[in-house]
Amino acid sequence: MSTNAKVDYQTEKGGYYKVLIGLLLLTTITFIQPSMFLTDATFVVQLLIGLIKALIILFYYMHLKGETLIGWTVSFAVFIVLFFFTIVIYDVQNFQFVDESHISSEATSAGSPTAGHHSSHSDTTSEHTSAASHEATHSEH
Amino acid sequence: MSKSYFDETHCAIGHPKTKVMQWLLTIDHKRIGIMYAAVMFTFFFVAIATAMAMRIELFAPGAQIMDGDTFNQAFTLHGVIMIFLFIIPGIPAVFGNIVMPLMIGAKDVSFPRLNWFTFWLYILGCLIALSSLWTGNGFADTGWTFYAPYSLTTDTNVITTLVAAFVLGMASILTGLNFLVTIHRLRAPGMDFFKMPLFVWGIYATAWIQLLATPVVGITLILAILEKYFGIGIFDPSKGGDPVLFEHLFWIYSHPAVYLMILPAFGIMSEIIPVFSRREIFGYRTIALSSASIAGIGYLVWGHHLFTSGMSDIAKTIFSFLTFFVAIPTGIKFYDWIATMYKGKVILKTPMLWALGTIVTFAIGGLTGVTIAMVGADIHLQDTYYSVAHFHYAILGGVVFLFFAGLHYWFPVVTGRMYNETTAKVAFWLNFVGINLLWFPMFIAGYYGMPRRYFDYLPEFEIYHQISGVGAAVILAGLLLMFWNFLRSWNNGELSGTNPWEGTTLEWHLPSSPPPLENHTKVPYVDFNPYEYHHGEPVVKFDYETMKRID
Amino acid sequence: MSDHAYVPEIATSRDGVEHEVQGWQGDFYGGKLGFWLFMLTEVLMFGAMFMVLTYYFTLHHADYIDASAGLNRVLGGFNTVVLLVSALTMGLGLLKMRSGDVKGAKLMIWATIFFAFLFLGVKAIEWSLEYQHGVFLGLDALQSGNAHSKPFGQILFFGMYFTMTGLHGFHIIIGIGLMLWLLKRINAGLVTPEHHILHWNIALYWDLVHLIWVFVFPYFYMIGADAGGYHIPDIGSLFGGHSNEH
Repeated sequence: MSTNAKVDYQTEKGGYYKVLIGLLLLTTITFIQPSMFLTDATFVVQLLIGLIKALIILFYYMHLKGETLIGWTVSFAVFIVLFFFTIVIYDVQNFQFVDESHISSEATSAGSPTAGHHSSHSDTTSEHTSAASHEATHSEH
Repeated sequence: MSKSYFDETHCAIGHPKTKVMQWLLTIDHKRIGIMYAAVMFTFFFVAIATAMAMRIELFAPGAQIMDGDTFNQAFTLHGVIMIFLFIIPGIPAVFGNIVMPLMIGAKDVSFPRLNWFTFWLYILGCLIALSSLWTGNGFADTGWTFYAPYSLTTDTNVITTLVAAFVLGMASILTGLNFLVTIHRLRAPGMDFFKMPLFVWGIYATAWIQLLATPVVGITLILAILEKYFGIGIFDPSKGGDPVLFEHLFWIYSHPAVYLMILPAFGIMSEIIPVFSRREIFGYRTIALSSASIAGIGYLVWGHHLFTSGMSDIAKTIFSFLTFFVAIPTGIKFYDWIATMYKGKVILKTPMLWALGTIVTFAIGGLTGVTIAMVGADIHLQDTYYSVAHFHYAILGGVVFLFFAGLHYWFPVVTGRMYNETTAKVAFWLNFVGINLLWFPMFIAGYYGMPRRYFDYLPEFEIYHQISGVGAAVILAGLLLMFWNFLRSWNNGELSGTNPWEGTTLEWHLPSSPPPLENHTKVPYVDFNPYEYHHGEPVVKFDYETMKRID
Repeated sequence: MSDHAYVPEIATSRDGVEHEVQGWQGDFYGGKLGFWLFMLTEVLMFGAMFMVLTYYFTLHHADYIDASAGLNRVLGGFNTVVLLVSALTMGLGLLKMRSGDVKGAKLMIWATIFFAFLFLGVKAIEWSLEYQHGVFLGLDALQSGNAHSKPFGQILFFGMYFTMTGLHGFHIIIGIGLMLWLLKRINAGLVTPEHHILHWNIALYWDLVHLIWVFVFPYFYMIGADAGGYHIPDIGSLFGGHSNEH
């Protein structure tokens, strides 16, 4: 494979420094983002930046570029992880016994009383909760 | 006679002089496979002894020879040994090691030293698991699934068992990794993926599961250990942790693990059926690709273990649906095997008998699996003897039976001798009758509500348990007879020659039997399909000096 | 490999064409493939932990944001840069090895080891500061049912925080061990510009450790960086969350 061939240090090192600068720039964005822009979506933005950084590291530092077989195996593994994520998170989001559950709300917590709700809408949330519990009681009879 | 791999070996460290050290340090894939088999079948009989003890306990209602707590430890020990020490390493560690490199014309696996290390990692895991029998408060009583939160609160020695399972998992990962690289890199020139024997396909699909599912259970076990030591709260409901999450993570590995068990077994079946029918296998590509798709779909069905655990309805429906899907590639394989035998010259030697017996027992095990994949039926049958019987029909009647088929089939390659055919057939019939006596009554008992893992039961279930007890004794007799036959024949069986079955794959084209240290003297160029028969005769013939085709 | 001297074998097809047989000895691509497969197991392992983390994030959104806001972003950020630079030195070291400059390669590996220790030192300071604030595994704040108990979501957040950064730190320690072993092999002449698979794979390992941190860092440190960060959309809603049913 080509990666086993001898290389010239002086011509190749430039690429490494460029990648370093790119990664440092992205890290800077990571730091300023929460107070600068898209503050409504910090989590998503942060993970997207992480994803870009990861791809840069994979392709350039880890020499994944041009590796067909290894590239496929990596994609397969990542796909499986994402599938696990989708199912498990979907399951917990649609948890039916949220009002009876011991783990999704606790007496001491000052945070949101129910699972999977925006705490910024805590007023509407509690409305939903009572509505849901009302439905539950209703269906029992 | 030329030297075989029993006479000389390569070692991981130096050149030891004594026989014992040569075995302990060997990096030869054939020797390592034999050592795996020796250790594994020793544990297999330990687990069978535990099972027999439980069967005696259950022969009549009420306590006979042990109390409930001991019974809990007994079924945990049985499960842990059978699952983690025997059946998960099982066929890949034994035949994947011994036969797979021979089949692809390789001199060894890709990382022979890693293979040696892996074997000793496996031994370490076994020792840790056994050590918990005598240390702490006795062996774990959680069942082999270690469900939280009970596993976090019981004072028995769960941590040791968790560590053992983790170490064994590492060994499993490294085995899979080694085989994947071997299959990708070391195939003989000309052998593309669709010229590989189907056993190699089975090992390939299995290796992917070993590699990509095992880490999930590894980290789950680590989280459980951290939970017990440091109280990180992940599975502890008093801190908001969700025990159902443990079940998710556990079954994300442990369900693919059953496909990890069955796929190489199907591979053995696909070797035996064409050779003993003297016909080219029907639908080679469909069998190969169905192995791959069982492995793929197998990742996506773990949720059917959680139907009664409080999963959301939509997730239940998805999982139920995906589980039905696994039956499709499995069914394709069955049709292909039966179509191969049709108009073939079927030779009922022992390996073929085991294979045919498996078609019956695995069909029962597989189809009952489809019934409990239905959410509604499962709510009735979950945790009853019905699921126990399903599991054992599929794993004992599928994986272990085919493992035995493989033991008979490749016995001449490994030892250079032939087992006693009559004894072997008697042993098969004992096992075949025994398994049906042992497990079929459990379907009925389970359907009427006999729960699993109970050491006592209502009087109306007595008849089922007693039939099962008799069946267990019959199986035990069959197993002892079979292994006695193997050990005796290894010492003084007839010499078998290199190709007693007129097989066509490369492990039957070795220069001598048992094979020399570095396998084929010359690697052949593979421009033929693995199972080429014409009018009941193998097509491909070699000049064994130059390994050139002379047909 | 000296005790298994290897001569590539030739297989001849029926029409007389000769094909070189790939042996397990000196198989550079095989070694690389094997190590990538090993790294996939790491991806699955950390992937499963991220899944656990996300599972409770969907249950306890606000608690996570609160807990994250309390982490030390200065030290965490400093460590991010340290790892970034160490990945560069590692990469340049491999480049020097491949171009034949063994001495320069060793220097770069030493630099990487230095940065790895720096990372661990900063990590130790960070953890001890947290310990002084009463947030550590086993302390009251992370136990249930006492006066100092934090809410469920925060207990779980910190439980995962210590687990994941701890395991990541463990990987750094393993990495230091691997690099010292690599230096020993280089000095013994077993890793050379012609035969550098070990160096290659350890460089890959180090990039993987960096890669994991690239996700660990924002997930723990940055999600609560915005002080009033209560406006962040619930990622669970992407999956048709419970709240959408009403």
